[in-house]
Amino acid sequence: MKTHWQILVVDDEEVMCESLAAWLREDGYGVDTASSGRDALEKAAHKDYAIYFVDLKMPGGMDGIETMMQIRHLHPDASIIIITAYATVDTAITAMKEGAQEYIVKPCNPEEISLLVSRIVKVKNLQRENAILRKKLSRQYRFQDIVSKNARMHEILKLVQEVAGLRSTVLIQGESGTGKELIARAIHYSSDRAQKPFVAVSCAALAETLLESELFGHEKGAFTGAAERKCGKFELSNGGTIFLDEIGDISPKLQVDLLRVLQERCFYRLGGQEEVRVDVRVIAATHVDLQQAVADGKFRDDLFYRLNVIEIRIPPLRERREDIPLLARHFLEKLAHELGKDVDDISEGGLKALMDYHWPGNVRELENAVERAMVTCRGRVLGEEDFSFLGRNGLPKAWTVPPAMTLQEMEKSAIAATLQRTGGNIKESAAVLGIDRSTLYEKLKRYEIQR
Amino acid sequence: MKYLYVGATPEVEQEALAAVRDDALARFGTPVRELELEDIEFAYDTRRDQYSSIPVLDRLVQKAPPDGLKLLAITGRDLFVPVLTFVFGHAQLGGRVGVISLARLRQEFYGLPPNREVFLGRTVKEALHETGHLFGLVHCANRGCAMALSTNVPQIDLKQAGFCAACAARLPGTGGNG
Repeated sequence: MKTHWQILVVDDEEVMCESLAAWLREDGYGVDTASSGRDALEKAAHKDYAIYFVDLKMPGGMDGIETMMQIRHLHPDASIIIITAYATVDTAITAMKEGAQEYIVKPCNPEEISLLVSRIVKVKNLQRENAILRKKLSRQYRFQDIVSKNARMHEILKLVQEVAGLRSTVLIQGESGTGKELIARAIHYSSDRAQKPFVAVSCAALAETLLESELFGHEKGAFTGAAERKCGKFELSNGGTIFLDEIGDISPKLQVDLLRVLQERCFYRLGGQEEVRVDVRVIAATHVDLQQAVADGKFRDDLFYRLNVIEIRIPPLRERREDIPLLARHFLEKLAHELGKDVDDISEGGLKALMDYHWPGNVRELENAVERAMVTCRGRVLGEEDFSFLGRNGLPKAWTVPPAMTLQEMEKSAIAATLQRTGGNIKESAAVLGIDRSTLYEKLKRYEIQR
Repeated sequence: MKYLYVGATPEVEQEALAAVRDDALARFGTPVRELELEDIEFAYDTRRDQYSSIPVLDRLVQKAPPDGLKLLAITGRDLFVPVLTFVFGHAQLGGRVGVISLARLRQEFYGLPPNREVFLGRTVKEALHETGHLFGLVHCANRGCAMALSTNVPQIDLKQAGFCAACAARLPGTGGNG
């Protein structure tokens, strides 16, 4: 790690310069020397040094402080250590004020220099690691990684780029597995909030009270078990973006609380008296038709309009079949790297199997299918037989409308088939069909369907 | 035929010279020869009451025999380089000559009763360390390796009198740790 960091030692006394440089080289650093401030600036203009040791007193009209200021102008991130044989409180204060990282007196204790350099290098290594990870994270969610040649998807990506820079709330609708979170992350990492947190919350995963404390946090003693004050996801995402997945599943009470946050940008922690203000961009997502939920009285219309400032509807995979080969090959390439398997391609037969399948789980299911096929496949090409598990799931390969069928007949058979699949469970069937229970009872009666 | 030369200045005890010759230099797989060295009074700095290692290295370059692959000097004087308060030793990185100082390796320097075993152990480790630099090794992050940086004696005492596997692999003729 050390050799990556270059050090420049600046001192007009050659023996000082060379002895410090030699000592640092023994420690494994790449070290150059400069005999004056001007010499140092010339070297700094051509090479990016991480650490500068600059002597305070140098002749030629450019002392250590002046040299340091010029270097900082060129490289604001450089760490500069002022060294001097004539230490005074005044020079130390000036040096620190002008941005010196440290001020040391010659001759220096070897331990002091060693600790100082290793401390600076440790921070620089962490800064670099952080920058790499940030880059990796934002690269992971580049638009280029959303693979599609579908015109509707292209329109969505264009919209994503347009709205990234705004603070407006976005509502993403789409079936499970269509990539709603991917789109949300793409918006966040393309916005000026990219350096701030992106916090994802699944509203369906938690019970009402838990979700409330998860979103808004709680004060110590707010409820049994609240031993400490805890910040909620809204506070954690301050300055950044909060992604509320499955927003359609939240309770009426939470809908009111959320409406207040969207309107006022402030809230109270559970059991708290103090108002908490946040600057958060909200991106919500749902797999249910929220407009229908509003019509059914399950979702507050005022909250819906607040959320639905910018609406993005992601089409299911079966409506963009042209993307299947593209996505399958994309996952193949990605997974070959991750799984360390030498699989290069998918055969025509394999692609046909994928094209014929109806993908209820959308892109996520496709990725899982490719991974499963890669794990079990023996050759370098995924063939039809590698995807044979798709047909065995009992799911239809493709569905076509039977000729001369009326809408009412279709509705009747859809209800009958769903009831059969759920074992006559009304609540579950109503959820699957996307209607409420009273509507289902009414239709059962109208079509005379036996449970 | 090339040799590793070891030389001691007059004030250095025979025991220390023997330890460096037999327990340190003999490990590098090159035959070791001894060389007589003069006192280093020429390097004395009255202001600091110490001896500058830079003129010592310059003198050693002149003294090194033509068949000398490397030359390591041992002195009892307290050494410094201008920018630092002291050094335990100083060697040309990947070069021909180096020197170690025994002054700060003795317990007496720190007001403690003498301990021959501790002193000789530190001497061998410092000799291995500076010779490692002569063979191009830089400081090692492994605190137990002879090439770890030591800026005080407890750090020297923590080290083994041998190289870690990674450093040993870069050296001619050493057999790893131990």
